Amino acid sequence: MAQQSAAYGQRGRMSGARKRAITEAITGYLFIAPASILLTVFGLFPLIYAVYISLHRWRIKKGPFLGLKNYTKALGDPMDILWFAIGIGLLIGSWYLWKSMTKERRTWAMAAKLLAVIVFIAGAWGAFTGMGKMIESGDQKMFEAFVVTVFYAVGIVPMQLGLALLLAVMLYQKIKGKDWYRMVYFMPYVTITVASAGVFRAIFSRRPESIANQIIGLIGIEPQKWLQEPHGIWELVFGHFGVNLQEVFKSMGVDSFVAFILAGPSLALLSIMLYNLWVFVGYNSVIFLAGLGAIPSDLYEAAEIDGANRWHIFRHVTLPLLSPTIYFLTIITVMGVFKAINHVLVMREPAAQGTVDTASLYIFDQFYLSTRFGYASAIAMVLFLVILTLTFIQNRIAQRRVFYG
Amino acid sequence: MANQMLPAQPVEKQQVSFWYRYKIGRILLYTILTFGAIVALTPFVYMVLGSLLTRGEMLNRKIWPRDPIAGLNNYVQAWNEANFNEYFVNSIQITTITIIGMLIVCVLAAYAFSRIKFPGREAIFGIFLATMMIPETILLIPNFLIVNQLNKWMAPLGLPWLNNWPSLTIPFMASVFAIFLMRQFFAQIPEELWDAARIDGAGHVRFMVQVVLPLSKAVLFTVIIFQFIGSWNALVWPLVVTSKPDWRPIAVGLYSFISEAGPELQLMLAGAVITTAPVLLLYFFTQKQFTEGIATTGLKG
Repeated sequence: MAQQSAAYGQRGRMSGARKRAITEAITGYLFIAPASILLTVFGLFPLIYAVYISLHRWRIKKGPFLGLKNYTKALGDPMDILWFAIGIGLLIGSWYLWKSMTKERRTWAMAAKLLAVIVFIAGAWGAFTGMGKMIESGDQKMFEAFVVTVFYAVGIVPMQLGLALLLAVMLYQKIKGKDWYRMVYFMPYVTITVASAGVFRAIFSRRPESIANQIIGLIGIEPQKWLQEPHGIWELVFGHFGVNLQEVFKSMGVDSFVAFILAGPSLALLSIMLYNLWVFVGYNSVIFLAGLGAIPSDLYEAAEIDGANRWHIFRHVTLPLLSPTIYFLTIITVMGVFKAINHVLVMREPAAQGTVDTASLYIFDQFYLSTRFGYASAIAMVLFLVILTLTFIQNRIAQRRVFYG
Repeated sequence: MANQMLPAQPVEKQQVSFWYRYKIGRILLYTILTFGAIVALTPFVYMVLGSLLTRGEMLNRKIWPRDPIAGLNNYVQAWNEANFNEYFVNSIQITTITIIGMLIVCVLAAYAFSRIKFPGREAIFGIFLATMMIPETILLIPNFLIVNQLNKWMAPLGLPWLNNWPSLTIPFMASVFAIFLMRQFFAQIPEELWDAARIDGAGHVRFMVQVVLPLSKAVLFTVIIFQFIGSWNALVWPLVVTSKPDWRPIAVGLYSFISEAGPELQLMLAGAVITTAPVLLLYFFTQKQFTEGIATTGLKG
């Protein structure tokens, strides 16, 4: 009898607990419902919808199904894309072959290595010629927008992170007015983008009395056209010494797209990159400061006892322990460049002839100005694939290089 | 005698050179830091000084305004010419609606993700986080079409989406970044408090409102500031979903003032000051919480 009632009691409690778990779960789902609905409608569904749009002719209103035509219009002939893809595949394959053979010392391993080298050369040739043909048969303006984006990212990441780290390390010392410095460095990041970009439009104006021209005047350089200068910086540097780089390229028979790359980022793009530096160095150094603060001080003490000097401590203690922060900021910065629209929209001049149009801005133009919704979506998907690939590569590198305490 | 002097000398020399090097280092440190501060500040100084110049002074390449009080006229002129009156009110409305909606949506979600157990919680949170990786550029076109469709459905019901507040605010109410930050914070609140509240007969809603939220002022504050700046800064999306000035926010107003009107420089600079002043003021009054909020986002990344 007593046993029975105990069993009943237990079962009663069990079902009570289960009931509570169920109400708990329902409460949970109700709590996340608003956010989930919004994210599904405006975050996840659009991703699938974008693919659907990109497969159609779509100029404000939906047109006929086009299949992959928007993609081939952007990327070029499918055969060339295949050529390029095979080339990239061979490159990756040769890399793995080489890596798997580095520890082997037998003769056949040498042969395999030789094979890897041959595959590598073939892959590089395939990727290179495939790429060239893609650019020829595809949308050259789009490829140029991607080159602009790469110039922008490659130029900005080391400068921005380097300067920010320098400032952060200095601010981390015992100095007077630390909070004051930190507040000032952070101001550009808080400022409204359209306003500060508008101010920089005036700073990088072609007028001889603009701030940028006065500063370079101090070191004896003649006034430049800055945001209205479509010519690449290497072209300008060589031009300063009397060499016309474009003429040289023409006489050598260099393709116009390659010439675009070799001339370097335009001075207009460089001006925008300097604006980018101005905005983000302070923000990055505040994040570096937080990273520095998280490093336990006994590590420094131990290194000092071991007789390490300041540089050694920085190189072998600070830098490795900061690597998660560096990784985070690199990703944020590269993503920022791929997303860059607002300030470029404000700072671009017609005279810059599209040399500042990043991939995102090119998509925006195709969508907003030319109302090619389908085509713009196709390029957006290409951009998305590029970003995913980059994130994947960054992750792979991070796994090896980033040291989480 | 000489033997006694010998060891003393190098020590003293070393001390002097150490002191000397320390001082040089200090000077270098402050020089670089101050130089950086000057670079950061110059555009602001240029903006404010330029906005106070008269037209003639601007053309004559003056830097310092002779009569700053008269220069305030530029502000009046820019305010009227660029229709800032309307844009300013619009921005305040958009920002307020977005912040209120965001707080309701995100506090609920963050609370559920940190303190309520339900099947699939981690997986759903993972999907939430993954949406942060999708660049806005890719969502721009489909979202424009979605909002268009919602406009067609809702306009007969008296709530048009285009050229109206819903398209400018509702898509931003589910901020994964805000949910992420608040979830971290809510999770740190001791479990004992929840046990005590439950014994007193409180449910999740009461515990959240009466215990969790009062304890989370710091993170709520950070989230509100970020949303404020985000809404005040938005350019491309409002440009796309509004075609009339009725609901255009101030960033769009300034953008069209710069690009379409091609105003005189001193007026443009005055417009820039007007646009950016509210955010800078907010920053000055709250900068401690502000920088700390930023720092935590970096660490968790």
